[in-house]
Amino acid sequence: MTFINKLKDFAVKSPWLYRINGGSCNGCDVELATTACIPRYDVERLGCQYCGSPRHADIVLITGPLTRRVLDAARRVYDEIPDPKVTVAVGVCPISGGIFRESYAVCAPIDQYFPVDVNVPGCPPRPQAIIEGVAKAIAIWRQRL
Amino acid sequence: MNFLTLFARNLWHGPYTDVFPFGPATTPEHLRARITFDPKQCEGCRLCEKVCPAGAIRFTRTPGGMTFDCWHATCVFCGTCEFYCPTKAVKQSNDWHLAHEQGEKYAQVEHGLIPNQICVECGAKALDTSPAVSHIKPPLSETEVSELRARCPKCRNKYLRSRKTS
Amino acid sequence: MTSQIATLLAVLLFPGGLFALVLGLALKGADRRVAARLQGRVGPPLIQPFFDLIKLGFKRTMVPTEASETVFLAAPLVGSVAMLISAALIPIAGVYAPDTELGNLLVLLYLLAVPGICLMLAGSASGSPYGAIGFSREMALMLAYEGPIVLIVAAVGMRTGMAEGHWVTFSLTEIVRYQQVHGWFLFDPIMWPAVAAFAFFYPANLGIVPFDIPEAETEVLEGPLLEYSGPALGLFKVMSALKAVVVLGLGIALFLPLPFTGPLAFVGWLVEIVVLMLVGVTALRVSAGRMRIDQAFVFFLKWPLLLAIASVAAVALAAGGAS
Ligand code: SF4
Ligand code: SF4
Ligand code: SF4
Repeated sequence: MTFINKLKDFAVKSPWLYRINGGSCNGCDVELATTACIPRYDVERLGCQYCGSPRHADIVLITGPLTRRVLDAARRVYDEIPDPKVTVAVGVCPISGGIFRESYAVCAPIDQYFPVDVNVPGCPPRPQAIIEGVAKAIAIWRQRL
Repeated sequence: MNFLTLFARNLWHGPYTDVFPFGPATTPEHLRARITFDPKQCEGCRLCEKVCPAGAIRFTRTPGGMTFDCWHATCVFCGTCEFYCPTKAVKQSNDWHLAHEQGEKYAQVEHGLIPNQICVECGAKALDTSPAVSHIKPPLSETEVSELRARCPKCRNKYLRSRKTS
Repeated sequence: MTSQIATLLAVLLFPGGLFALVLGLALKGADRRVAARLQGRVGPPLIQPFFDLIKLGFKRTMVPTEASETVFLAAPLVGSVAMLISAALIPIAGVYAPDTELGNLLVLLYLLAVPGICLMLAGSASGSPYGAIGFSREMALMLAYEGPIVLIVAAVGMRTGMAEGHWVTFSLTEIVRYQQVHGWFLFDPIMWPAVAAFAFFYPANLGIVPFDIPEAETEVLEGPLLEYSGPALGLFKVMSALKAVVVLGLGIALFLPLPFTGPLAFVGWLVEIVVLMLVGVTALRVSAGRMRIDQAFVFFLKWPLLLAIASVAAVALAAGGAS
């Protein structure tokens, strides 16, 4: 049992990130790209890697207030992600709707539709705040594994 | 061949990465992040509530006074509230550590209470707000401000009128 | 009987198998780490690929409903096994010479094509349109680079074979031994076209930028790998790690085997392969942009093919002039 636990400790050092854009204004997506591309923030130190396919993902980052049009697609993509997975809402849009709150066109907050685990408020959040959120998500992921 | 010099420089200089999350993070001094509120300075004008584009600020009348709540999970860090606040009771700090787990979602609130007080002149119950004195000429002295503060709005008006005539 | 056991050990333990796997994963880790350093970042720890593999072991393998399940699950397995065997076919100068019964250069060429074919199978079996696009791209790229590599190998084989008195040799051991005596082909002007053609071939075979067109994650979402998850994806990672060792090992055996024996030769070989990985793969990957598939196809039909034909012609002419 301890051996398996040890392996799991190693496994959580490789969280692969996948981002779902739920109709975001792209501000948050740019900050997500920043965490990976700008040397100063470098999320790869945690072993993270942005992957192109939802099937490879461990941690899902959802941005945007989930517009009505994208709701169905986002839910389908979310279901493609193999368990165990952790969901992170990035930006105030998915958490509460932010600036788009109570608009007829958005379905925010997204926790009505997805089991969100970690929230990273901000519009957009600072890249370091996103990294902090990912670190929190990793801790949750360890318990799920 | 620009990229080759870049490679050489990076190899030589080493990484430019911040130590965060394995150590303290560098934060710009003027970063606009978490809203803070100081009930002592608030005038109770509720301008911030009106101008907030995200509807993050809410004032509520309670038996104990008036509460201020700013939900960080919907504040967009625009700074409008601070800009319009006459006394800068509501301010933006540069603290960006807002990431939280889902269970704490509705606890991400900046909360403040402007308590009730008893007016020293008429004995009515009124809010202990900071008096709006910035545009009054000649400027009020410290003691005058504290005297003004201890009164209800009606008595404050009376106080100021009597000050003008005298 | 003993030779069979030795062969089995070669496939499962020393130059193939476990050793190649660990080396391949370590090379991948070094690649990521150095790439990060070149970009001014810290990058993941050196053993990150091991973490990735362990992680993938804990995940669930999902098979899409439209996929053909047998092919979908067999493809990564076949690819990794093919690479395991080919890793045992690569000689390490002065340390290990592959058993002739296991195969020669021609077998290696066939085995080298297997991962590409497995990727194509995986892409088409996954039933995803992105997989299909990856399939067609992989096929176009393979058609483009398989020609040059055959000619390169033929040129090297002829060069050695003619010097040894027969027409052409397909034994890597012989090629390595010849170079240990007569010096690297890398410094042989007649072989330069072949070296240049090989320099174009290996990035395409390893699927790195600028030739990672079939698996471009920004365009076709990792193409054939799109539908894979969990252990099956891990097998593909194993395959690509082994492939790095095989292709770079092949390059070393063809053009620059060390003339030492014993431990020094082994350490030297390790150094060579790491340097090749960092200079040839990492620096290239970080500095280049991705080609379009039609550009890459035309490019391969032009330069590497031309260079490879030129190298065969040069070897033939040199041999004709000498005799
Ligand atoms: S939180 Fe702000 S930056 Fe992020 S998607 Fe919403 S509006 Fe854009
Ligand atoms: S915080 Fe400032 S703007 Fe808001 S009610 Fe108080 S004084 Fe007015
Ligand atoms: S910063 Fe903007 S969104 Fe946030 S509380 Fe102030 S006015 Fe509202």
